[in-house]
Amino acid sequence: MKKFAGSLLWAVISLAAAFFLAAIAVDRGEPVNSFWIVLAAACTFLVGYRFYARFIAAKVMALNDQRATPAERLRDGHDYEPTNKWILFGHHFAAIAGPGPLVGPTLAAQFGYLPSVYWIIIGCVLGGAVQDFVILFCSMRRDGKTLGQMAREEIGKTGGITALLTVLFIMIILLAVIALVVVNALKSSPWGTFTIAATMPIALFMGVYLRYLRPGKVLECSLIGFVLVIASIFGGQAVAASSTLAPWFTLSATALALGTMVYGFLSSVLPVWLFLAPRDYLSTFIKLGVVLMLAVGILFVHPQLQLPALTRFVDGSGPIFAGKVFPFVFITIACGAVSGFHSLISSGTTPKMIAREWNAWPVGYGAMLLEGFVAIMALIAACSLQPGVFFAVNSPPGVVGTTPPAAVSTISSWGYPVSEADMSTLAADAGEKTLYYRTGGAPSLALGMAHIFSTTGGGRAILGFWYHFAIMFEAMFILTIIAAGTRVGRFMIEDLLGQAKVSLNRSNWLFVFATSGAVVLAWGYFLYQGVRDPLGGINSLWPLFGIANQLLAAIALCVGTTIFIKMHRARYMWITALPLSWLVIVTFTAGYQKIFSDQPRVGFLADANHLQDALNAGTITASKIAETQSQIFNDRLDAAVCGIFLLMVAVILVDSLRVWFRILSGAGEAKVDEAPFVLSQLQPEEL
Amino acid sequence: MRALLRTVVAILREISDENAYQRHLAAHQRRHSPDEWRRFLDERLARKFARAKCC
Repeated sequence: MKKFAGSLLWAVISLAAAFFLAAIAVDRGEPVNSFWIVLAAACTFLVGYRFYARFIAAKVMALNDQRATPAERLRDGHDYEPTNKWILFGHHFAAIAGPGPLVGPTLAAQFGYLPSVYWIIIGCVLGGAVQDFVILFCSMRRDGKTLGQMAREEIGKTGGITALLTVLFIMIILLAVIALVVVNALKSSPWGTFTIAATMPIALFMGVYLRYLRPGKVLECSLIGFVLVIASIFGGQAVAASSTLAPWFTLSATALALGTMVYGFLSSVLPVWLFLAPRDYLSTFIKLGVVLMLAVGILFVHPQLQLPALTRFVDGSGPIFAGKVFPFVFITIACGAVSGFHSLISSGTTPKMIAREWNAWPVGYGAMLLEGFVAIMALIAACSLQPGVFFAVNSPPGVVGTTPPAAVSTISSWGYPVSEADMSTLAADAGEKTLYYRTGGAPSLALGMAHIFSTTGGGRAILGFWYHFAIMFEAMFILTIIAAGTRVGRFMIEDLLGQAKVSLNRSNWLFVFATSGAVVLAWGYFLYQGVRDPLGGINSLWPLFGIANQLLAAIALCVGTTIFIKMHRARYMWITALPLSWLVIVTFTAGYQKIFSDQPRVGFLADANHLQDALNAGTITASKIAETQSQIFNDRLDAAVCGIFLLMVAVILVDSLRVWFRILSGAGEAKVDEAPFVLSQLQPEEL
Repeated sequence: MRALLRTVVAILREISDENAYQRHLAAHQRRHSPDEWRRFLDERLARKFARAKCC
């Protein structure tokens, strides 16, 4: 009877998933309530988790709780430690959830909500969560080896080096693009800039507090930091209202970009305990808190989606970034659907903390579903804005016109009416002078979140506080990733130099300064390029980041497929080969279009040629010649970077196909390189 | 409800490295002291921030 009731319940959930997914796709000529999307995602994720992931765990991976995990066998009290599955779930989720699932869906909303909803739900269940789960399993069976090590050992030496280089290149593009998101959110905003500037001394104070005043009291210290950060939001309001102080914190995009680079450099060379660690603790707690608040807010308010299911921009003429819905929606939303970066976490700390093999099911697969849910919530927040407002905030001046009257006229002519009065009122409510041309996704997401939070209580009177709370959350979170990423980039350069047999003294401050400076200059160059770009920078940098991230996922899925074949599970290789094939199609199409499309807004080379022709024809004014020449160079550089990404992944793909063919044709040996079976002695009370 | 709260606190303690510090003390059979904390933290942070953070 109990089994029958269970089957009946799952049948109802499955039917509900199909019904909700179909219902949101039917255009009834009226706004759709966000609740339909929440339910469609929740039911589909539940079915995917219960049936698809369980099938993979039982039939393909043959997870076995009797088998001791590396956490038990290699237990050292540091990296290897058997951990309760729900604690590890929280830890793993906090590690994989970055700004990507918030920003990507916001940008992709230019196509309407429908393509993004479907991609997030289907991509997560069949692609992203599978990748995270499979890589976690592979690493767990190999004593917690990293993706690079597994690529080298399972596919070949080329795979290992390519994985390392890909990660370094992705880091550089990632840091540039997320820095651009922060710069665009803070430019000409004294309130936001003061709040973020205040988080720096707060972090320094927390660092000293934690090391000397109350050693070990991280939660207590983070709570104090949180109170100070909230106080700084109120302080920012006072600064913005002060005619003396406001000019000090009203900075241009270029000044903010330089400030961000100085920040990245300092956080890489300063002791970790002083600055980076306290920021990291605080931003992780704020991140988890805001995600929870957003979930509760959406359930409570369940706003109507104001953006249509599909906009006219599916044809590729979008103002935020150019390119058709296929393939660009699939690379714009990487984190939240499929993110290659997760494979670094799934083969990093997490496999060393799994207490029992079956815990990989909720931790690996389940945590990614939760990230998909975060992406759905970000999409809902962005789509709850009026379309005219959404496009006015997110469109660059190079597309909609350089003055507010021109911008509202262009956007209204697209069929998304917006007036200057609407924008002025909204800006005043948000405590900003203007909200035009705030490209990058963060401000529109903050507006959507502020709208949801203020609807739960306080209304327009506190919209400004919630807007700046959301901006503070996004900026603080992103700046912490920039700080940590610059430091990791420094270590990667040191590793590469070490592999090239260059004699190193890693503790020499000159060497630390030089490697930190090299990383900052690398991402800073792309950031500066984005800031100067009349199309807003996001148009060129976000697709590059998306392509790179998805290509890393392709590498991870190549590793997973290879290991499945070696485990004599070739009949199940479609589980990883299917998302791999899709990612290869999508990223190579997008990459090809970004390099070779004949439309200047899409293709880097076409834009370079277009600008070169204008230069040759003498239609560029003398004051713009140098800028145009640098734009031409940047276009060609972006085309080269994109080409290198594609080439590196093509190398791994060909290498993998060679290995698969040899094994499947019987010409090669299917040798499984797992750690030997050891019977688990772990007692339940140890968890 | 109490179990949920306990799990949430445990997650927060895990993220804040407080659990890891307790494990460190137990593994090395040491008692908490400011110097011990600083030793633990330096070692822990060096490893933690040598890895890429997710996007």
